[in-house]
Amino acid sequence: MSETRLKILQYITGIVLFFYVGAHLIVSHLSGGEPAAWESVAERASSSLWLAFYILLLIFGLYHGIYGLRTIIIELLPRLPAKVVDWTLVTVGVAIFIYAAYIPISAF
Amino acid sequence: MQELTFKVQRYLPGKDRKPYMQQFTVPLHKGMTVLDGLIYIKENIDNTLSFRSSCRMGICGSCGMLINNFPMLACHTPVEELGTDRIEVRSLTNFPVIRDLVADLGLLFEKHKSIKPYIVSPEREEAEGPTTELLQSAEALENYMQFAYCVKCGLCMAACPTVATDDLFLGPQSLGQTYRYCADTRDTGAKERFHEADSRHGIWLCHLAGACSEACPKGVDPALAIQLLKRAMVASSLRLKRGKQTAPIAPALTEIKPKIEAPEFTVK
Repeated sequence: MSETRLKILQYITGIVLFFYVGAHLIVSHLSGGEPAAWESVAERASSSLWLAFYILLLIFGLYHGIYGLRTIIIELLPRLPAKVVDWTLVTVGVAIFIYAAYIPISAF
Repeated sequence: MQELTFKVQRYLPGKDRKPYMQQFTVPLHKGMTVLDGLIYIKENIDNTLSFRSSCRMGICGSCGMLINNFPMLACHTPVEELGTDRIEVRSLTNFPVIRDLVADLGLLFEKHKSIKPYIVSPEREEAEGPTTELLQSAEALENYMQFAYCVKCGLCMAACPTVATDDLFLGPQSLGQTYRYCADTRDTGAKERFHEADSRHGIWLCHLAGACSEACPKGVDPALAIQLLKRAMVASSLRLKRGKQTAPIAPALTEIKPKIEAPEFTVK
């Protein structure tokens, strides 16, 4: 994929995350009640809508963060082989996704 | 007579381990520029001082250097404007030093060359020996004229924080000139230039610090050119934009009449 398309995805995920993280903050901190209590967490974990919400948040957050990290690595270590950097980051991203997605999926 | 203190970077590869600063006292005169001060030092105090200069009027871009920690053209910087009688002069940052104040701009020119800084024509023969004239409107000229003022002095590259960490980054000079040629209605080389700018060390490493535009002595505003180029590249990638309007071929002249008849030779 071209660098321009990777950057466009970075912009899109950034905009989506702005609303997603906003919604996440409202639910977790501003909606009143006890959102962090076990009952509330269990209730959200059993909802397929919330499962999809968290998985998508994870995908967008991971892409946005790892692309940003890639930019920093390219800039600070410009002579590192491109394939090494990209495949390392893809591997790290997939590993984090599997581990992080396992938690809400197993609680579903 | 009022005097100025010049602290000048000295460095002779092979002899000096690293650059050091040497102090000179220079008499101040009205309208004096930093370049005048350096020329005074070379002519009257130390003729081994090396620096690059040519036109003395901010056109050739040769005398770019770091003056009181800001990249400037020495010939374009009156000492009075610096507001101090202590002037520190170093070679341009982000470039290797050849000697004293002479920076090696080789990488700048290599990057500049890589983006095809000329009008690309679909037909090679026509590009090398034009037989027709292309018409360009004043509006079309305005699209790129500001960016065509670049004198390749390297000040924008010296100011760029991204070039400071990634010397492979194309940099504001090349990216600004990429937009300059892509915006030209006579040019058809946008696709090739987009490909070059779309590289790993290309346009998307620009963080829009704006230091390039602040440093440019010709008002080129490379940061603006880079933003316009980003927009054009995103539109091209998403196929949102139709092809740009190309300059039409001027109608061929049918008859050429001299405005004034040439006088007869007085000597046969």
